[in-house]
Amino acid sequence: MAMAALRREGRRFAPLLSPRPIAGVRSSLVSEEDAPFGTRSISTQVVRNRMKSVRNIQKITKAMKMVAASKLRAIQVRAENSRGLWQPFTALLGDTPSVDVKKNVIVTISSDKGLCGGINSTSVKISKALHKLSSGPEKETKYVVLGEKAKAQLVRDSKKDILLTISELQKNPLNYTQVSVLADDILKNVEFDALRIIFNKFHSVVSFLPTMSTILSPEIVEREAEAGGKLGELDSYEIEGGETKAEILQNLAEFQFSCVLFNAVLENATSEQGARMSAMDSSSRNAGEMLDRLTLTYNRTRQASITTELIEIISGASALEG
Amino acid sequence: MASNAAVPFWRAAGMTYITYSNICANLVRNCLKEPYKAEALTREKVHFSISTWNDGKPEKPVLRSDTLED
Repeated sequence: MAMAALRREGRRFAPLLSPRPIAGVRSSLVSEEDAPFGTRSISTQVVRNRMKSVRNIQKITKAMKMVAASKLRAIQVRAENSRGLWQPFTALLGDTPSVDVKKNVIVTISSDKGLCGGINSTSVKISKALHKLSSGPEKETKYVVLGEKAKAQLVRDSKKDILLTISELQKNPLNYTQVSVLADDILKNVEFDALRIIFNKFHSVVSFLPTMSTILSPEIVEREAEAGGKLGELDSYEIEGGETKAEILQNLAEFQFSCVLFNAVLENATSEQGARMSAMDSSSRNAGEMLDRLTLTYNRTRQASITTELIEIISGASALEG
Repeated sequence: MASNAAVPFWRAAGMTYITYSNICANLVRNCLKEPYKAEALTREKVHFSISTWNDGKPEKPVLRSDTLED
């Protein structure tokens, strides 16, 4: 009688051990072990293996966070110093994002490597929105894509509008010469009335805002100058040397593009490191939480199996006694 | 008036202002003494891979690099 009750007790534990959905741990973990009704314990081996791999992942993401933090420090200084390159241009020529032109070329800057949070998606989202905004009758909008991540996203639905894609930009530390050669290539291969550069501007470690910079071609600058405003004041400057205003404007436009692109690439790289840092940080935190939950499961499983063993022993012993 | 003015020699040769200023910068960097010269020349390395797209299809990417490819 007592034996039967005890045996029943033993069996009652088994269904409790097997597939009870335990929060956080995928139920497949436990159901892999889907023991036939009546067996005694789950192997704790599976839980232990999973804990080991989660622990390794946590270490890796912590290391990546440290690496990103150190890279961030270095490149943030350079990005902030490079801001001085385009400020005189904005002071001279103004920034006119709302200019209405026929040929827009959108230069989207993104990273080559992943695991950096959502910055690439926001850049692509803004580029697509801009594309939509600036399309209309007789207007044409094309893309120049820097970086693998944006290319992968834009290829999906805007294949026909891509003019150039550039990658492997960060193999050597970023420098002005490289970006200016790139700017030169873009200028030579692309016809544009206005260039819109989209990048993530670095404000702080947790805040990177997608920003757009506009560069006008010299002809459009002429056109806008007639309309007045900042550009209209260009005529009040005296031109020295043997150059004409048109030539100077062309030189300025090219140089402006190169400087703004340099700053944009640096800011985007800084934002990338910052985003990676916070992504890896939240990833290690999640791994830590998962590890806690797994530890609880592991202990519960272990204790349950010990209890089952004890019950077996006791019921066996009592069966012997009679 | 604009058409009579001589275009600067570098623009007549097909260079943009950017190329012109890069060449000038290179000349200035080469005027430095060692060890600053080696440091400055590391800031001139170019490496990227660019590929033009025609009608939705990428062409073979062109690698522009100062480093030797093997």
